Formats: sequence, structure tokens, C-alpha cells
Amino acid sequence: MTIGQILFNLFALFTLVMAAGVVLNKNAVNAALCLLLCLVGVAGLFVGLNAYLLAFLLLLVYAGAIVALFLFIVMLLDTRGDARPTLNRLPLVARILATGLVLGGVASFIQRGRLVSPDMAGTIGVGAALKPYAYQLFTTYLLPVQILGFLLLIAMLGVIVLSKKFVGLEDIK
Amino acid sequence: MTMLATAVILLLLPLISAAIIALFLRRSGAAASAVATLTAAAIAVGSLILALQRERFEVAHEWLRLGSFALSIGLKFDDLAALMLTIVGVVGLCVHVFSLGYMHDDAFRARYFGGLAIFMFSMLGIVFADNLFMMFIFWELVGFSSWLLINHYMNRTSAADAAKKAFIANRVGDFGFLLGIVWCYAQFGTTQFTELAKLADGGAVIATGLPLLLFCGAVGKSAQLPLHVWLPDAMEGPTPVSALIHAATMVAAGIYMLCRIHVLMVPDALTVIMWTGTATALYAALCAITQSDIKKVLAYSTLSQLGFMVAAFGLGSISENHVENGSSHVHVYAVGLGAAMFHLTTHAFFKALMFLGSGSVIHGCHHEQDIFKMGGLSKKMPLTFITFTIGVLAIIGLPGLAGFFSKDAILFLALIKNKTVFAVLAITAILTSFYMVRMWKLVFLGAPRSTAAEHAHEGGLTLTAPLVTLAILSVVGGYSWFYTKIFGGAFDDVIDLVPQAHGSDHIIVLVTSLAVVLIGAVSALVLYASAPTDALARKIPALFGALLALKGGFDRAYDYYVIKIQQRGAMLLNFFEQIFLAGLIIRGLAGVVGLCGLGARALHVGNANVYAYWFLLGAVVLWSFAVGVLTF
Amino acid sequence: MMPASLNAYIFISVALFAIGLLGVLLRRNTLIVFMCLEMMLVASTLALVAFSRFNGTMDGNVFVFFILTVAAAEVAVGLAIIVALFRRRQTIQLDQLNTLKN
Repeated sequence: MTIGQILFNLFALFTLVMAAGVVLNKNAVNAALCLLLCLVGVAGLFVGLNAYLLAFLLLLVYAGAIVALFLFIVMLLDTRGDARPTLNRLPLVARILATGLVLGGVASFIQRGRLVSPDMAGTIGVGAALKPYAYQLFTTYLLPVQILGFLLLIAMLGVIVLSKKFVGLEDIK
Repeated sequence: MTMLATAVILLLLPLISAAIIALFLRRSGAAASAVATLTAAAIAVGSLILALQRERFEVAHEWLRLGSFALSIGLKFDDLAALMLTIVGVVGLCVHVFSLGYMHDDAFRARYFGGLAIFMFSMLGIVFADNLFMMFIFWELVGFSSWLLINHYMNRTSAADAAKKAFIANRVGDFGFLLGIVWCYAQFGTTQFTELAKLADGGAVIATGLPLLLFCGAVGKSAQLPLHVWLPDAMEGPTPVSALIHAATMVAAGIYMLCRIHVLMVPDALTVIMWTGTATALYAALCAITQSDIKKVLAYSTLSQLGFMVAAFGLGSISENHVENGSSHVHVYAVGLGAAMFHLTTHAFFKALMFLGSGSVIHGCHHEQDIFKMGGLSKKMPLTFITFTIGVLAIIGLPGLAGFFSKDAILFLALIKNKTVFAVLAITAILTSFYMVRMWKLVFLGAPRSTAAEHAHEGGLTLTAPLVTLAILSVVGGYSWFYTKIFGGAFDDVIDLVPQAHGSDHIIVLVTSLAVVLIGAVSALVLYASAPTDALARKIPALFGALLALKGGFDRAYDYYVIKIQQRGAMLLNFFEQIFLAGLIIRGLAGVVGLCGLGARALHVGNANVYAYWFLLGAVVLWSFAVGVLTF
Repeated sequence: MMPASLNAYIFISVALFAIGLLGVLLRRNTLIVFMCLEMMLVASTLALVAFSRFNGTMDGNVFVFFILTVAAAEVAVGLAIIVALFRRRQTIQLDQLNTLKN
């Protein structure tokens, strides 16, 4: 077992455990921290795939910005004291059935979804350098880049509108 | 500026003015009327310029191509078009100027003048059209603007009904016209007049049905039997509109179209056309006798005169043997075309004159249209009286006036071609002079029979100036020097075709026309006294009733057809539609969808979490398809 | 260096996706559901990067760019909605948010 395989196994295990932590944690703050670590694991896997730039971006954007935002909101809302009885709770049977279906799907995928794995050593890791990204983004994917810029603008406007307090709107119910 | 550019500008000018009025000037009647009238003046000047310079041209430009079918728009400007263009331009200007005064107090003046502008555009399009498709497009536009203008007083039910009737009756004729155009294209591969003429001269075989189908269009537009019913009702529109559209230009478009395609006319078709025209002339003249509405009398007289033109066209060509340099060859002259166009020209002048005169009378009598409530207007409205009298004398064919020459040309042609038609047209001429003099006497002579007539007054300059212009034209429009000297022979191709009576035929025609004028006029003068009721109805009620029944017969027949046959057919179709389409297909679909909706509503529980479960279920189903667990 | 086969990466990606989906299905806290959604997005980026690496093409990598951008926008709007919702209803529990029906 090479050092690369060891690292892969470690990062994979770490990622999955932290992901499970997100799902299972009662406390939202802990869940958010688990998500952060899970993302670090994924970034490690990216490094194993020679996608250094994406690994960095993942840490910066996701771990740095998005998870911080999540934590911020969790702190802001502070929902620990919410102990109201749950209404309309889904029956346990449905939950078990759903879990079974998801796990069954994964099992079926592992069993059937085998791909012919190309030799990783035979192909060049094109995602390592910055230049090919820039080249692709500004040639083939120029239109999507513009559309995304527009999407970000719209999202910004949407957030501003959503977080504004409209006086008198509270009566409308 | 080349003449072609002038023609294009002339065609587009009224469209631009209509657009300006419709877009910007709907609220300001004064500005709209100024724009429209200036446009009409420009058209009149432009048409005179175009006619007077001797350049004749023809251009075509491909407009759209669908597979092998090419639709072109083009301008064909020959002497025929020049003559028609001049009529439209001059009469149009007169009517616009008259409208300035007549419609001055109308609240919807802008719409009216916009409609006139659209009409001018469409009419010029017909005049310039160089192929049947283009002519059809403008033909429909003319029908539309006619509908718009008849409908001007649209809060009156009768006006709205009349507009609909005119439109529908025209549609019936236009359907035949369209079929004829399609047939023409299918057979010859072109609808361009010049190319059609070449093909026809080259001896192409033409079925009788083709010209007859095209004639259907003229039957609708020129209001020949049996589609004439719309024209008397169209008098619901403002009087200047009746003068321009329903007397002088649009209804003459049918004749113009026939002249355009006269190369396609085969003898059998010409016979049908001739009899249609003759029957219309006689029938309308009979109907006109009983009318009491001044505009209705003029409308039936228009019908009758249009019948004259169609009959003249149907009388066809004459061939003459020419001996030149010892060899004889046969010349064929389309004298029918010449006579029809000549009568169209003079009729446009004197009928527009009389309609505008009646408009002046109606305006003076505060919108009283019943001739039995008028009387004695000769003193109140002297200028109208004089000009109207000239119009009446012109239409009954008094020697020296325009109508005399054109009617004589037709009568002469009938005499040498078909004696029966000659007899019928002569009787019609008696009737024409009878009902015209009747109306003239009832309106202008005697004592006023209502307060409206007592307080009648002459209109302003905008009302009288067009009358005088048209009166002059009604006098000089029949002399050949008018066309050769004043217009410098600009219309020679058409005017040269007008048949000239000579020898013994000349005397027969002259005597006949003088006799018919005198018989009709004198009997009307004797029979009708200044009375508030119809003298004919009092003295010979049986005849009067018969004439009324004759007039109403067509309307009753159409009513019967529409109510008893068409309406029942429509109800039957509606029934099937309700059962099969609405019941099985539409309701059936709606029912299925409704059931699905019921089921889907049960799934909609309002808890956001549950939707995620549905999503999972969908994913499972998709995955099952992907791996082949589920298959169709 | 040959750390793992393509199938191994895809397996990790699928597992991460499944865990995220389970979180979406089972949790009632809207914030955690939202985190799980983000996790599912990351799982898909992992698959894309793996495909890109093993095929020697750039397209998968570039798509990760787009996914990151969309995710950022989505998180911003989604969290704003959650905050607005909390202001209005004083709860972010999914089963309390049932006004869609009533």
C-alpha cells in the first residue's frame, strides 16, 4: 500500500465519518463544525486528484465563507430553546423505509455501477495548473460565466429584499 | 425625381398619413383632418403629374417566396391606371375638402379621416397593382376601409349591421375571386397582367370558369346581382364616404379589375357578364323609383349605372376589317373596355357630384334625408341646386353633358352587338331619367314640407367648392377634347377604344337617347307634385307595391337562406361540436386531469419534509429504470 | 502516484451523497437540512473532479467552479429565507412549517 492509498483511505474515512456527524448531531453548531471538517476531507481527496486549485477554492469558499455563514445564522437564531411538541410527525415506518431505500440504492449502485477505471498514471492531471481553468472559462464557458455573474447579482438583490424589514407587512397573514 | 419614385411616394403617402393619424392624432380632429386633406391634395397633384407626363412604366419586385411560389409586388402604370388614378385623386380631393365642412362637428373626426386615408392607400394600391395577388391584398384592404367608414356612426345598430352586411357580401364575392386567382396561378404560373396578356395573345386556352370566378370579385365589389344587397345599406355611412367609396371609386374598382384582365375574357364569360350587368341595371332602376331616402335613390342609381358599365364591358370587342396596301387584316378593338371605362369616368364625376350635393342638402336640412320632407330648396340653396341639377342632367343623358356621351357609347355598342340588351338598357335609361327627375323635383321644387327644409341653408366654402369643381367636370368630362387637349392625350390607350357611332346607327342612338330622356323626365314631372306622400303609391298602388316587393325580394330571400338553412346547418354543426369535441375530447381531457388533480391533492399534505420523501420515491423509480428492475 | 481507482472515488461520492440525502429526509431542523443539501452538492463535485482527472479533460473541473458559485448564491438566498421565516414564525422546525396546506 503506497502512501497515496493510505492517505486516500484516511481522507475518505474522515469525510464519511464527519458527514455522518452532520446528520446525527443534535446540536446545529456541532453539525456545522462537522460539515467544516467534512469539507476539509473532501479538499484532501481533491488534492489526491491533483486538483489543487479546486481544493483551495473549496476550503476558501465553502469552509471559509459558507460554513461561517451557517454558524453565524445558527448563533443568530439560537433555536436550542425551541421545545414545542412536533406536529404531524412522520411515522417511524416511513423513516425506516426511506433509510432502507437510500441504503439499498447505494448498495445497488456499488454492485452495478462499476466503471472501467482508466489508469490514473497514464493520464495527465490537467487540473493542477491555473492556466487551463482561465483558458476554459474565457473561451468555451464564457457565456455560463456571464450568466453566473448575473445569477450572483440577482441573488444579492434577493437577499437584500428578503432581509429588509417591511413596515406594516406583518399584518398580512 | 423619377416618375417611379413619384408613384411609390404617392402610394405610401396616405399610409403614412393614416399611421400618423392613428398613432398621434386620435384626439385632435382638426389636425387629423388637416393631415388627411393635405395628403389628398398631394395625391391629386401627384396623380395629375403622373398622368400628364407621358412616361408609362412597369416594375415588379419579389416580395416573398414560398418554395416555388413567388409573390411579387409591382407597379403597372399604363393609360388605364393613369385614368383611374386621376379619377381617384381628383374625386378624393373633392370629397376630403367636402368632409372638412360636412364632418366639422363630428366628435370622431380623427377616426373618420384616418379611415379615408387608409381607403386612399388601398385604392391607390388597386390602381397600381401589377398582378392579381397584389390587387387582391389591396382589394381586401379597400373592403376593410369601407367597413370602417360605413361603421362610422357605430352606436347606431343599423350602421353596424350595414357595415357587417357589406363586409360579408363582399367576402362571398371575394371567395370566388380568390379561387379564380389560384386557378389562374395554377394554370399560367403567373398572375402578372402583362404576362397574362402575352400568354392570352399567344393563344393559351382559357376555361370559361376562370374569368367567371374572377368576375365574382367584381360582382361583390361593384355590387352586381345577386350580391348588390350591401350597397343600399352602405348608405348608413357619412355622405362623403358614400360619394367617394360607394359611388365614385371603390365600387368602380370591380370594373377596373375586369378591364385589367380583359385579355382572359372568353366569349361565354362575356355573355354572362353582359347579362349580369344588364339585369342589375334594370333591377336597380326599378327599385330606385320607390325610394324615399335621398341617399337610397342615389345608391340604387349607382347600382344601375354600375350595371351599365358591366354590361358595356360584357358587350366585348368588335373586329374591323382594314384594307392596307392591298392586304386586309382584322383589327380587334376592346371597345367594351373603352365604353365601360369612359362611363366609369363620367359617372365618377357626376355621381360624386350628386352625392356631395345630397350631402349638402342633408347638411342644410339638419340631417333630414326623406325627400318627401324636403321641397323648395332651390331658393334656399341655389348653388347646390344648380350643381345638383347639372348632375341630374348628366346622369339622365341630356345632350351636351358628360353622361350623354358615355351612355351613348354604351347604347351604340349594344345596338351593334345585341338588340335585346339595347332595348333593356334603353328602358333602364327611361327609368333613370324618371326617378332622377322625381327626386330632383321633390327635393328642390315646390314648397318646403317640413321645418327642416324651411330653415335650410347653404353650407360654407368647403361644401360648395367641391360641388362646383365636380359640376364643371361633369360637363366637360364627356368631350373628347377634354382628354386630348387638356390632358394631352394622356389616356389615349383607353379613350381611343370608346366606340364612336356613325351613319344610321348614330341617328338611331341619338334619337333613342333623346326620346328616353324626354319620356322619363316628362312623365316624372307630370306624375309627381310637391306632396308629402309618394304620388305613385297613391295613384297606382299595385305597381308601387310590386316594385317594393321586387326591392325586398332579395333581402327576404337572403334572410330566408340565413335563418332557415344556414342557421340550421350551423346549429347542427354546433350540436356535433358540443357532443364530440366539447363532450368527449375537451371535457374528457378535463375530466382525466381533474381526477389526477384530486389524487395529487391528497398527496399534498403541506409538510415540507414529506416532499423530500416523494422526491426520494421518484429517484428510486428512476434508478429502477436505469438498472432494469422496472421495465415497460 | 496511484492512490485509488475511479470506482473508489465514485463510491465515496455516492456515499457522501446518500448520507446527505438521509439527512435531508430524517432531520427536522431546517438549518441542518440545508447543510446536508450542501453536502450533496459537494459529493457531486467530488465525482466531477474524479471523472475529470481520470479522463484527462478539463470540463469536469470547470463545472466545479460553476457549482461552487451557484452554491454560494444558493446559500445566501436560502439562509436569508430561513432568517425571514424565523422572524415571522419563531421556528425553523420543518414540521411546524406547514402553511402550504392550511
